[in-house]
Amino acid sequence: MVLSVENLSKSFGKTQVFSNISFSVNKGEIVCIRGKSGEGKTTLLRCITGLEIPDKGSIKINNMYLCKEKNNLIQYAQKEELQSIRQEIGLVFQAFNLFPHMNVMENLMEAAVFLKNDSVENIRTRAIKLLKRLDLEGKENSYPYQLSGGQKQRVAIARACMLNPSILCFDEPTSALDEQTRNQISKIIRDLSSQGMAIIIVTHDNGFVDEIAQRIITMKDRKITFE
Amino acid sequence: MEAKVLKMLVPMALEGLKATLGVFALTLLVSLPLSIGVAKLRLSKNKIISKIVGIYIYIMRGTPLLLQLMFIFFGYYQVPYIGYAFSREQAIFIAFVLNYTAYFAEIFRGGINSIDVGQYEAAMVLGLSKSHTFMKIILPQVIKTVMPSIGNEVITLVKDTSLIYILGASDILKAARSVSNVYAAFSPYIYIGVVYLVITAVLTRLLDKVESKYNYYR
Repeated sequence: MVLSVENLSKSFGKTQVFSNISFSVNKGEIVCIRGKSGEGKTTLLRCITGLEIPDKGSIKINNMYLCKEKNNLIQYAQKEELQSIRQEIGLVFQAFNLFPHMNVMENLMEAAVFLKNDSVENIRTRAIKLLKRLDLEGKENSYPYQLSGGQKQRVAIARACMLNPSILCFDEPTSALDEQTRNQISKIIRDLSSQGMAIIIVTHDNGFVDEIAQRIITMKDRKITFE
Repeated sequence: MEAKVLKMLVPMALEGLKATLGVFALTLLVSLPLSIGVAKLRLSKNKIISKIVGIYIYIMRGTPLLLQLMFIFFGYYQVPYIGYAFSREQAIFIAFVLNYTAYFAEIFRGGINSIDVGQYEAAMVLGLSKSHTFMKIILPQVIKTVMPSIGNEVITLVKDTSLIYILGASDILKAARSVSNVYAAFSPYIYIGVVYLVITAVLTRLLDKVESKYNYYR
């Protein structure tokens, strides 16, 4: 098990987004979280990736607690542990959020170089391999504005993969893609999963869910159900 | 007559030009980096810090630079306990830096606020530190956004340097005034006006170059 979520609750002011949600994700598994707009799918994903602080419950990633409840208070991982946990979980944003002033290669290398998890030369070699794998060869020096939606999506995937995460999360990965690019992304996700990476996809695209999910979690009325 | 005017004006103007460009360069050199820090403090989550910086910016933007120059040189030493008599050069430096830092800080604050929150979130998910995120991800994008406004202020600064006359300092405008008084002629002002235009033209060219340097991305 690479991710374990237990009794997670989150509210914004008086609005309860979800309460007492529990689920787990195994290595290499593709889990889709679906539900209508406003059901809290993205908020759940943001909690798992540490962008949002839940009110209650715990999140365990590769046996490290991102947060846990102690004496009714939520406790977050300390700075150094948080750094390690963050490297275990990647996120591909709906809007990609590439750094516009950096070219593709710089976007890929920035975090790995900053975290000093390898020599710059090895990091560059890894980035080149990833770009080749994601069919982005020759785009190393392109800037995000010069890329199509599908290419940006793949750069965002490559950027997240540079840190070798155990879990890769996608927020609405097909929302801005045409049929052909959608199939390409679907293939990439399956490929990553087959190599042992756990995949969590938040989407309201039911067709995509039916096509790719190994397990489906539906969010409705602040609760989740499993299919 | 014009030959006499020019003969007297040129050496005085050259001397004044040193003061004008000195004030201009020193103010830019110090207030630009300082203003980034001030903008960050203005955006601080600590409400007390943010409020104090807000008051400082309000005072600097809400009162004329001329008055600030006069206060620091003529008035500050009379302030009980903290009063100090600054030299003319010190007063000019302090007033210009304080004033322009406030203006630049407001421009940078607007620029920082304009950056999409997704950029911070992407950096956070990738494990970048806050300082690295600011210096490498946010600031380069902010600079591109604020360059036109900074450019305007830089041009204004050139013209504002003429205010140092109030403390008896000799800038190029004072040179024109002196020569004009001697020969009862208006032409020295026209010559000095041309000097200002030349400085502004050079700066505009430089600022355009800096702006175009950031055009490599959108």
